[in-house]
Amino acid sequence: MDRTEALLIADLCEGDETALAPLIERYKRMVYRLAVQITKNRADADDVMQETFIKVYRSIHTFRKDATFETWLYRIAVNEALNFVKRRDRRRECTLEGASEVDYESTVRHSAQVANDPHAQAEKSELRQHVTAAVNSLPLKHRTVVILHEFEGLTHAEIASILNCSEGTVRSRLHYARKKLRILLKPYMDARTI
Amino acid sequence: MRSKCEKIERLVSDYIDGRLSEKQTADVTSHIYSCGSCKREVAELKKTKHLLKNFYIEPEAPDTYYAQFATQLRQRIEESAPTAPHQRIAAALTRFGWQLRTQMYRYTDYFRLSRFISIRQHALPYYILALTMLMLIATPFLLTQFPLENRNEHVHSPSTAVHSGVTLAVEQENAASHSINTRRNLNSERTTEILAVDSGSDIWKFTNDRVGDGYIFTTLEKKDSNTVPSVALDIDSELLTYAEFPTQDATSERLMGRDVLTDRRYALLLLRGINTSQHARQQYQRKRSEFRGFSHKLLDVPLEMMSVEVGYDLIEL
Repeated sequence: MDRTEALLIADLCEGDETALAPLIERYKRMVYRLAVQITKNRADADDVMQETFIKVYRSIHTFRKDATFETWLYRIAVNEALNFVKRRDRRRECTLEGASEVDYESTVRHSAQVANDPHAQAEKSELRQHVTAAVNSLPLKHRTVVILHEFEGLTHAEIASILNCSEGTVRSRLHYARKKLRILLKPYMDARTI
Repeated sequence: MRSKCEKIERLVSDYIDGRLSEKQTADVTSHIYSCGSCKREVAELKKTKHLLKNFYIEPEAPDTYYAQFATQLRQRIEESAPTAPHQRIAAALTRFGWQLRTQMYRYTDYFRLSRFISIRQHALPYYILALTMLMLIATPFLLTQFPLENRNEHVHSPSTAVHSGVTLAVEQENAASHSINTRRNLNSERTTEILAVDSGSDIWKFTNDRVGDGYIFTTLEKKDSNTVPSVALDIDSELLTYAEFPTQDATSERLMGRDVLTDRRYALLLLRGINTSQHARQQYQRKRSEFRGFSHKLLDVPLEMMSVEVGYDLIEL
């Protein structure tokens, strides 16, 4: 944690609300990225972002220096997003999650048919969509670990701390997720674009 | 070979992350050169990782979104801010409390023990051992200096007792009989009487007939605390099973239906009338194991004195 950030946090602890804006500016993209990836819905991600930063604002005094602010923020954002998804699923509201799964399945079938077409294989954008859809099709727990490890670059220990589970659990979920992704992405592994 | 493959499969994820020890890495490497399926799996997992790294679309929003988000967030924080005077005062006090707490954390952090005493990691077990021995030595001394008191809390009737008269005798198995007095106040109302006996492992047995109709309650008190923990409330529904009277009259039904005596200290209704002692004995014995850790007392509440200080007005019954 650099000094500027430490000062901002100290000021926020003192009740200086203006210190929140620079912190938001610094971490907004990270929180947004996480929120969208976990909720798979940009509108829901907006809610998660707001809840996350409001929680930061209200709970900054509980932040202890035994962890970095970034890890602490990760923990809040991830848990907010996970709780949001759980609440949303409980309510059984019509969300894009169900739609995305359906879209993903149809996309995979379609891709399997066109996989023989060398022109289609060459399309990087299509490959990107398939990879993204494959990640989105993972169960929530496994998707979260993949996001934190593969895209956010966090270690197993950091993920375990954020998710409040053991490192063994993190390792197991990651292993399962990779195996599933390997099966899903197998048709695209021989593409010339990779 | 198959068991070897299963063993290797558990390691491949860490293998492609480069998180294995040298020996484990060598094991996996040598195995995948001799095993086609494992080699293929490792290669595919590596490709999967490559695909994720290079082809996954990370969500991003335009700058206009973030500007709008900041505005909305500011509005929401302002809206959630207290507006009424008492809310503002409460918020200010809360904020002051948190600031005080933050300062205390800083203070304790600054004056933490390790700043003054160098605690070496390898010596920690010796510190713990020394502390344990000190506690073992000090505990008997402290117990002699500050003996634990037998805390028998009494339940008092709201009525003023002025006359002693009727006697209700209760005895425990393997114990001598205990006599307790039932008192009457100026209005000839009988008051409650406590038999303060720890019956944690005993079975209550009533020897003498009671004089009038009434209810006998057993109370539960946590031995080491002034309050009965939540477990007493948790088992409340089961405690009410003790109110299964041999004769179901209107009064008992109403009593059973009520959530009576669920105060922090008073927990259950035991039985009505002395003639049901055998019934009570069986019931009580069966459920007794649930009450370990509590001290039991009997409380006689005659019909004409249907109020106890805990606020349960049983006159309605």
